[in-house]
Amino acid sequence: MYNYEKLIRILYLITSLSLLVISEICGSEVPRPHGVSLSRAPLYRPDKNFTCFDNSKTIPYSQVNDDFCDCPDASDEPGTSACAEGIFYCVNAGYRPMNIGSDRVNDGICDCCDGSDEYANTNKCINNCVELGRSAREEAMQKEELLKAGRQLREQFSQEGIQRKQQKKEKLLELTKNLEEAKRVKAEKEKLKNEAEELESNALDYYRKLEEEENNQKAQAEALKNKNEALLAFDRYDENKDGKIAFSELQQYQTFDKDKNGEVSEEEAKYFLNDLDEMDSENFCTVAWDRVKPYIMIEEGKFKGTVEPTYDETAEDDAENNEEHADEEKEEEEESEAEAEAQEEEIPATPEEEVPPSKQYDQETRKLMDAANEARNEFADAESSIKELEGEVRNIQKYLDEDFGPDEEYAALHGHCFEYTDYEYTYKLCPFDRTIQQPKSGSMETRLGSWSKWLGPDHNKYESMLYEHGQACWNGPERSTVVKVACGSDNKITSVTEPNKCEYVFEFLTPAACSEVHGEGGDKGHDEL
Amino acid sequence: MHLVWRNIFSFFLFCHICLAVVKDNFKECEQSSFCRRLRNLKPGDSKYVLNLNNLHVSENSVETELWNSEENVKFKLVLTALAGDMFRVYADEVSPIYPRYRVQGVLNGEPQVERLDVLKRDKDEVIVQSGDNKAVLKSEPFKIEFYKASNLVAVVNGRGLFDIEHLRTKKSETEGEENSLQKEDAGAWEENFKSHHDSKPRGPEGVSLDIHFPGALRIYGLPEHADKLALRTTGLGGVEPYRLYNLDVFEYIVDSTMALYGAVPVVFAHSTTNTVGAFWLNAAETWVDIKNSKDQNVVSSLVNLVSGQASESSVDAHFMSESGVVDLFILMGPKPKDCAKQYTKLTGVAPLPQYYTLAYHQCRWNYITEDDVTTVVKNFDDYNMPVDTMWLDIEYTDGKKYFTWDPIKFAHPDQMLKNLSSTGRNLVVIIDPHVKREGGYFLHEEALANDYYVKTKDGNVYEGWCWPGSSSYPDFFNPTVFNYYKGLYSKLKYENVDSDVMIWNDMNEPSVFNGPEITMPKDCLHYGGWEHRHLHNIYGIVYTAITYEGLLARNPNKRPFVLTRAHFAGSQRFAAVWTGDNNADWKHLAASFPMCLSEALAGISFCGADVGGFFNNPEPELLQRWYQAGIWLPFFRAHAHIDTRRREPYLFAEDIRNRIRTSLRLRYAHLPLWYTVFYEHERFGEPVIRPLFYEYPNDSEVIDIDNQVLVADSVLVHLISEPGATTANVYLPGGRSTYWYDIRDFRKREGNGFTSVPVNLDSIPVFYKGGSIISRKNRPRRASTLMHKDPYSLYVALDNNKSAKGTLYIDDNESFEYKKQKYLYLQFEFKNNELSSSLIDNTDYESVEWIERVVILGAPTEVSKAVITSKTLGSVDLETHYEGDALIIRKPGVCVREAFVIKLV
Repeated sequence: MYNYEKLIRILYLITSLSLLVISEICGSEVPRPHGVSLSRAPLYRPDKNFTCFDNSKTIPYSQVNDDFCDCPDASDEPGTSACAEGIFYCVNAGYRPMNIGSDRVNDGICDCCDGSDEYANTNKCINNCVELGRSAREEAMQKEELLKAGRQLREQFSQEGIQRKQQKKEKLLELTKNLEEAKRVKAEKEKLKNEAEELESNALDYYRKLEEEENNQKAQAEALKNKNEALLAFDRYDENKDGKIAFSELQQYQTFDKDKNGEVSEEEAKYFLNDLDEMDSENFCTVAWDRVKPYIMIEEGKFKGTVEPTYDETAEDDAENNEEHADEEKEEEEESEAEAEAQEEEIPATPEEEVPPSKQYDQETRKLMDAANEARNEFADAESSIKELEGEVRNIQKYLDEDFGPDEEYAALHGHCFEYTDYEYTYKLCPFDRTIQQPKSGSMETRLGSWSKWLGPDHNKYESMLYEHGQACWNGPERSTVVKVACGSDNKITSVTEPNKCEYVFEFLTPAACSEVHGEGGDKGHDEL
Repeated sequence: MHLVWRNIFSFFLFCHICLAVVKDNFKECEQSSFCRRLRNLKPGDSKYVLNLNNLHVSENSVETELWNSEENVKFKLVLTALAGDMFRVYADEVSPIYPRYRVQGVLNGEPQVERLDVLKRDKDEVIVQSGDNKAVLKSEPFKIEFYKASNLVAVVNGRGLFDIEHLRTKKSETEGEENSLQKEDAGAWEENFKSHHDSKPRGPEGVSLDIHFPGALRIYGLPEHADKLALRTTGLGGVEPYRLYNLDVFEYIVDSTMALYGAVPVVFAHSTTNTVGAFWLNAAETWVDIKNSKDQNVVSSLVNLVSGQASESSVDAHFMSESGVVDLFILMGPKPKDCAKQYTKLTGVAPLPQYYTLAYHQCRWNYITEDDVTTVVKNFDDYNMPVDTMWLDIEYTDGKKYFTWDPIKFAHPDQMLKNLSSTGRNLVVIIDPHVKREGGYFLHEEALANDYYVKTKDGNVYEGWCWPGSSSYPDFFNPTVFNYYKGLYSKLKYENVDSDVMIWNDMNEPSVFNGPEITMPKDCLHYGGWEHRHLHNIYGIVYTAITYEGLLARNPNKRPFVLTRAHFAGSQRFAAVWTGDNNADWKHLAASFPMCLSEALAGISFCGADVGGFFNNPEPELLQRWYQAGIWLPFFRAHAHIDTRRREPYLFAEDIRNRIRTSLRLRYAHLPLWYTVFYEHERFGEPVIRPLFYEYPNDSEVIDIDNQVLVADSVLVHLISEPGATTANVYLPGGRSTYWYDIRDFRKREGNGFTSVPVNLDSIPVFYKGGSIISRKNRPRRASTLMHKDPYSLYVALDNNKSAKGTLYIDDNESFEYKKQKYLYLQFEFKNNELSSSLIDNTDYESVEWIERVVILGAPTEVSKAVITSKTLGSVDLETHYEGDALIIRKPGVCVREAFVIKLV
C-alpha cells in the first residue's frame, strides 16, 4: 500500500516537473526563488548578493529564502514564513496564481491549490489546480452568461427608467400648465366669491342686529333667573330670616363640606361668604352665589366636574386601572375603543328649538346667501384642485430627484416590493420606499426602515442601500436596514440577517446591478495561466 | 406565564436604565439572621473551654473536648499536622441531633498528614510541634496559637468570636416566652427576604471563628469580589463584610464587597517578614469581616502616638458561616510562594490545558448562524488577525434546551466544526445546569422519570425561571445524576471531525431569575436530605467536575477545556474562570487585574475578564486598552452582550485594527511562555500570574499594588485604565541591581520603585525581568494550532551579573502523552557569555522546532560573532548584529531537542 502510494507520488512529481519543463519551454521561465512571481524574478540573481527592496541591507544570496528574516521589508524571504509581513506567490498552474501572506506558508493548511505553500509538509496537499481551474472557468462562464442576461435585462430596465423619467417630465410639464390654469381659475373664483359675499353680508346685517338683540334679551333673562335662584337659596339658608346669612347657617348644610370630611368647618363656610362672617341678600347674589352654585349643582347631580383640585381616592384608583389596561392585550384596547364610539352615538341629539326671528331670512336674502355659498364652494374646489396638482408635482419632482442609477436602471424597481421568507418572518423590500418585517404568525408588521440613500463607496455607490428610521426597538435604537445589491438574473432577496441588534442586512439580486462594476469583471491577473 | 415574563422583563428594563447592580436584590448582613447573630458576637473572653485533661494524642493529631460553658454543649476539637507545613483544625458537635454538613469533593484528595510531637501538656496548655511549626492550645479562654519557628503568626479565636451554634429543637411559643434569658434572633427559625420565605427547618446552626494575624500588614484572598486585591477593613463606614455566596449579580459594581459568582474562602495575611494563610472549608453562605490595624480609629492611633507605643500592625479575619462544621487549614508559609504551594497542595492545581486554549477566544451573545461563525473566522483571516476558538452562547440551542442544536440556524454542527478545524480552529458551546420543563425534551423527561431534580422543602420538584422560562435543576449531588449527566457530553461528539466541542458552563451558581437573590431557595432539598443552604457554594464546582469528567470520558486522549462562572476552592482542577458579566467601562477594565490576581492566589490561575466589557459598547480607546491588558491575563476571550454592537476587532478603523492586531500577535508570540508557566503551575503549584508582593515579599511598597501583574516572575505588565494616558507610574521592583527591559525598545531600567514611563495608544508598559530567558514564537499565524512547528526566538534578558535563566516546556499541545514522559522541559542558562540548553528531565518529545534567533538584552558590547556547538551541528559560526542595545544572534538553527552551547566571541 505504502509503496503504491509512493509510486503514485513519484509519478505525480514527474508529471508536474515535466509540466514545469514544458511551461519553461513555452514561456519565458527564468529560475526564481520559491514564492516569487515572474515579474519579480529578475530581482533575485543567484550570482549576486541580494539587496533588500528597501535598500536597507545587502546579504549573500545564500541567505535568500533561508528561513531567516534579514530584510525589514521581508523581501529576502519570499518563499518562507520567516518574515511577518512577507508575500508568497503561488504559481497555481492550471488555475490563477495567487499572493498569500507569508504567515500561511508551511502552517499545515493548503492555501495554494498547487500545494507550493506547504512544501515542508510533504503529502499534506493535493494539487487540485486543474480541477479548480476547470470549475473556475465554468463558473466564470456561468457568471458571464448571467451577466450577459443580466445586462440585457438591465438595458430594458434602463430604457424603462429613462422612458418613465421622460413620461414624468412630460407629465410635469402638463401639470405645470394645468397648475397655472388652475391658479387663474382660482383667482377668478375668488373675485366672484368676494362679490357674492359682500352682497350677502349687506343683506345679513339686518339679521345680525336682530340676533344681537335676541342675545341681549336672553342674557338678561338668564341673569334674572340666576338672581331668582340666588334669592331662593338665600331664603333657604337664612334660617333665622334676619335678612343675613351667617357662616354658622351655612355650616348646617353638608353641601358646603368641601373636603368631604363629613363636617363643614368654619373655614369652609366662610369660603362661600368671601371670608365674611355674614352677608346680606344683595351681596350674596353678587358675590357669594358664584361660589355656592356649583356645590348646589353637584349636590343635585347636575354638575359632574371637580370644582377645584381636591384629594380624591377614586381618582387614584382610576389611574391604577388605566395602567393595568395599558398592559392588557391590544384586542381589549380595540374593544374599549369600540365602546367609546358606541357611547358617542348614544349621546342624545340636541332637541330642535324654535327658529328665532334672527334666522328667519326673507327670500331675497336667502337667494344672496345661496349665491354666496355657491361662489364659496367653487372657490374651495379651485383651491383643492391646486393643492392636488401641487401634490402631484411634488411627487413627480421627488421621483425626478431620486437617484435611480447612472442609466435610470433602478427606476424599474420603484413601486414594487420583493419578499423573503425565513422560518419566522416574511421580509419585504420596497425599493426607494421601505423595508418591512412581518411575523409568519400574522401579527403586526414592523417597519425596518424608510428609504434614505445609496450607501456604497464613491467608486461603487450602487452596491448598497440604506433604509433608516424604522420602528424603535424595545430598549434599543431605531431599526435600520442595509440592502446589499448584486447582479442577478431576476429581482430576488437571497438572505436577511440581523448582525447587530435591530440592524438588518438584506442581500438583494437584481439585473439592474449587472454592470461592469458589479460583475467583478474578468479574471484579472491571469498572467501565468 | 405571561405575567412572570413581564416581571422579568421589567426587572431588566429597570436595570438597563440605572446601569448598575440592583443592590436591593441582594442581602446585607443585617438582613440575614445568621450573619446578624454571628456578627453581633462580642470580642472578649470566649465562652468555650478546652478540656485538656482529656487529650487523645496520635502520631499526627491531638483530639480533645471543647465545651461551651454557657450552654453546656460538648464539641470535639482535632488538630492535625499536615505535610507541607500546614495544620488542620476541625471542630464538630460530639452528639448533634442531626449530622452537620461536611464538605465533599473540594479537597484534592485527603490531605497527607505529618508527624506531630507533643512538647508540653498540662491542663492549661498543650504545645505540639511539626517541623519548625508549633501550635499552642490554650484551655481557658480557648485559643490556638501558631508559631513559625519562634514567631507567633496566627491565633485562632484570638478575639473570642469562636462559636458553633449547636443544633436544637424548636421551643414551643410559651417555652420561648418563659425562657426570656436566651432571646433568639427573630430570624433564627424562619426568615423572609423580599417576597421569599425561608423555612429553616433546622433553625440556627451557624459557625463563627476569628483568626488574629499579629504583624500582618495586609490580607489578601476571598475571591470573588470586584474589589482591590488587598482586602479592606469592613464595618468601617458601613462597609459590609466580604460575602461569599455564589450569585448571579446583574451588572455588578466595582469596589464592592458584595458577593459575586464565585467563593473561595481562603486568606493570606502578609508582612514583609512572614506570610500565613487560612482556608475555611465551608460550603454554606459565608461572610468575612476584616480588621486591619492600620485602619484603627483615630482615637487609638492618637493614644499610641502620645504613649509613644509603636503599635504592632495586625490583621483580623472573622469567618461567619450559616451552617457546617469548623474545618480550618492554617498554611504556615512563611513566604507567599510557600502559602500558594500549600494551598494548591490541598485543593489541587489546574491541569495543563491544551495549547490553543491559551490563545485568543472570540465570543459573542450570539453568533447567530453557522454562516455567521464561518464569516467571522474568515474576516479574522482576511484582516490577518489570529483567532483560535469560536464560542456559541445560548442561542445555538433549540429553544434553550441544552445538548440540542437549533434545527435551522445550526442544522449542521458537524459541518461547521469541520469548517472550523480546516483552519485549525476550535469551538466552545455553552451548557447551563437549568433544564427546560418542556414535554418531549429528553433531558427533562428522563430527569422527571428518574427523579433527578432538586426538590422543594415539601418534596416536590423545584421549579424556577431561567433562560428557557420554567426550568428545573438536576441534583448533581446525587451520584446517579452525576454519572447520567456526565454521559450527556457524548452527544456533542461528531464522527469524522477532528475537533472536540469544548464546554462553557454558565448560570451554575445556580442562577434562578425568580429565586431569592436570583438563586435557589435555601430550604430546597438535595441528595441525602441536605438543604441547599448547606452546600450552595459548591453546586457550581460539582457541576464543572461533571463537565470535566464527561469531556474526559468522551475523549480520554484530549485535555478537556471547561469555562465556568460559578466557582469554589478547587475549581481550578476542572475549569477556567472568567469574571462574569462586566461592563464596558474603565473601572471594570481596572478591576480585571486585581480580580484575576486574587483568583490566582486562591489557586485559580486560569482566569480572565471579558475583553471589551460584556454590557454596553466600549469606546475604541477602551477596547484597545482592554486588548492590550487582556493579552496578559491567562484566559483571553472577547465577549459581548446581545444588545451591543458587533465589535470583532476587524470592524474598526485601520489604526485601531493595527493596534489590536499587534496585541493579538504579542499574545501569540508569548504562548510558549504561557504554556511553560501553566506546565510549571501543574507541576509546582505556583500561580501563573502573580501580584508584586508575591515575588517581592520584603518590599513594603508593593503591598497595595494591583494594577500590575507578573507572568510567572519574568514579565511585568502595567495596566492602563484611564483614557488619554500619556505617562504611566510603573512600579519596578527589586532595587537598583534588578533590571527591567521595556519590551518595546529593550531599553533597560533599574528596579527603583515608581518610575514614570511615557505611553501612547500603541501599547501599555511591559517589561522583561533581567535574569530571565523568555521563549517566543514570533511568526504570526492564523491560529496557535498552526504554530506547532514554528521556530523559537529566545529573549535573554541579562541581570547585573550578565547572566540569565529560563525554562521552556514543549509537548504535543493537546494529549495526555506528556504524562508518559513525552515532553521536553528545557533549561536555558546564560553566563560567562555562553548560552546553554539542557534537558531538566530525562524525557523526550519528537519536536521539529528549532531556534531561529537569540536576542540578548543588556548584551556585552563588541561581540563580533557567536559560535554554536551541538552534537549534530558540530561547531558553527553565527552572525550577530546589534539592534539598539540588543544583540541578535542570527539563526542558530539548532533543534530544541538537542543540547547546545552558544558562545559569544
